[in-house]
Amino acid sequence: MNENDKLEILKDILFDDGHKFEEKISKRVKNLEQTLNQKKKFSDKVDPLITQQLNEFKESIPSTLGPVITATLKQEIKHHKDDVVDALYPVLGKMVKKYVAQEMQLLQEKIDNQLGFLKRWKLKINSIFSGKNEEELVLDQLAVAKIEQVLLIEKDSGILKASFSKSKTIDEEMVSGMLTAIKSFVEDAFNQRSQNLESIEYELYQIHLQSFATHYMAIVISGNYTTSSKDKLQDVIFNFYNSFMAMNLDLVFETDTTNKPIETVSKPRIERELKKYFGNAKI
Amino acid sequence: MQKSKKVVVLGHFGVGKTSLIRRFVTNSFSDNYKVTIGVHITKKVVEISNENTISLILWDLEGTDKLDTIRNAYLLGTHGLVFVFDVTRPSTFEHLNNDLDIVRSKVPNTPLIIVGNKSDLVDLAELDVLFKKNSLSVDFVTSAKTGETVDDLFLKMATLLNEDA
Repeated sequence: MNENDKLEILKDILFDDGHKFEEKISKRVKNLEQTLNQKKKFSDKVDPLITQQLNEFKESIPSTLGPVITATLKQEIKHHKDDVVDALYPVLGKMVKKYVAQEMQLLQEKIDNQLGFLKRWKLKINSIFSGKNEEELVLDQLAVAKIEQVLLIEKDSGILKASFSKSKTIDEEMVSGMLTAIKSFVEDAFNQRSQNLESIEYELYQIHLQSFATHYMAIVISGNYTTSSKDKLQDVIFNFYNSFMAMNLDLVFETDTTNKPIETVSKPRIERELKKYFGNAKI
Repeated sequence: MQKSKKVVVLGHFGVGKTSLIRRFVTNSFSDNYKVTIGVHITKKVVEISNENTISLILWDLEGTDKLDTIRNAYLLGTHGLVFVFDVTRPSTFEHLNNDLDIVRSKVPNTPLIIVGNKSDLVDLAELDVLFKKNSLSVDFVTSAKTGETVDDLFLKMATLLNEDA
């Protein structure tokens, strides 16, 4: 074996595996190249479809998932009321706070407007005499008691005889019946038929009840209904009674207990009189 | 001018007073039984003849087995009475005459209509026999569920009150 043979053997030993390794790497590189090319082709085809599907899904969310979400929410609220309250409280609290702040600002603006130059002097004088500060006096003016509705009702039956209202929003005949039922119940329950229920408070309204022999009046008042307002209102009521009601026998006497012929007063006439007395009354 | 009249509907517990009124006023019926507490007031305008209407203010009193315990205050100024019993429950009509005497003594000289309700639950022929056997004089046999003769009953009351006025 000469030097050349030895060199050939050494070459075989050293480079045979290397050749195989080189082939393997080349194969893998080809595979990778192929995969990448295929993916790109696939992506080019599939991507627009996916985008389209996503858009359609987005559009159909309200109709497909809406009812499910609503039902789930309803169930969650029903079963975990406390948790829902805890979660909503800060949000609602902020909203309410913001609303109140806005309303207070509006009120402040109103007060500022009221405090014009001349009015301010008038208020200052009133403030000195009444002992109240100017803002309090303005607030009193803003929350002045107003007559919203007047019902003249038959005491026993609860039948509405006549009414006056600035805005008719309720069924007055049913309200008259219900007021009479409440009145009758309270007076009967306390065994005090000789005494009368005088007022009912309903949220922002106060219902003043004034009883007469056969009829009673229910006056719905909004605003700040003070003792002074009550006094003024009673003056208006008694003025109405003395000047109009007392002159009409069927409004004052029991039909079956009087021998006098009963004068029937028409509903439109009573309503005209109610408007006359209560329409512009300041209390 | 349209007249308004107070009509009180009374009777024992669960005879269907509220359902009768509901059928008449809103033409509806519900199987859910809710006890009336105190009194419930509703209204319906009834046309008796052309341009002749009457407003019925219906006082639905809570049911009671002892009619003498009804608050007199609720009966004051009543123009008409409707006494209702349940045709399927003898306890609501076996003392009918006695019950009616109590009602008449509380509200004398007032039109009174006697009504047997829940007719949809019994055979009408059997009902006739039952009334004869118990010497009951009944003005209307109604069903608040089907609406049978409910309107007739209140129209009758409206007519009586119109004549009375």
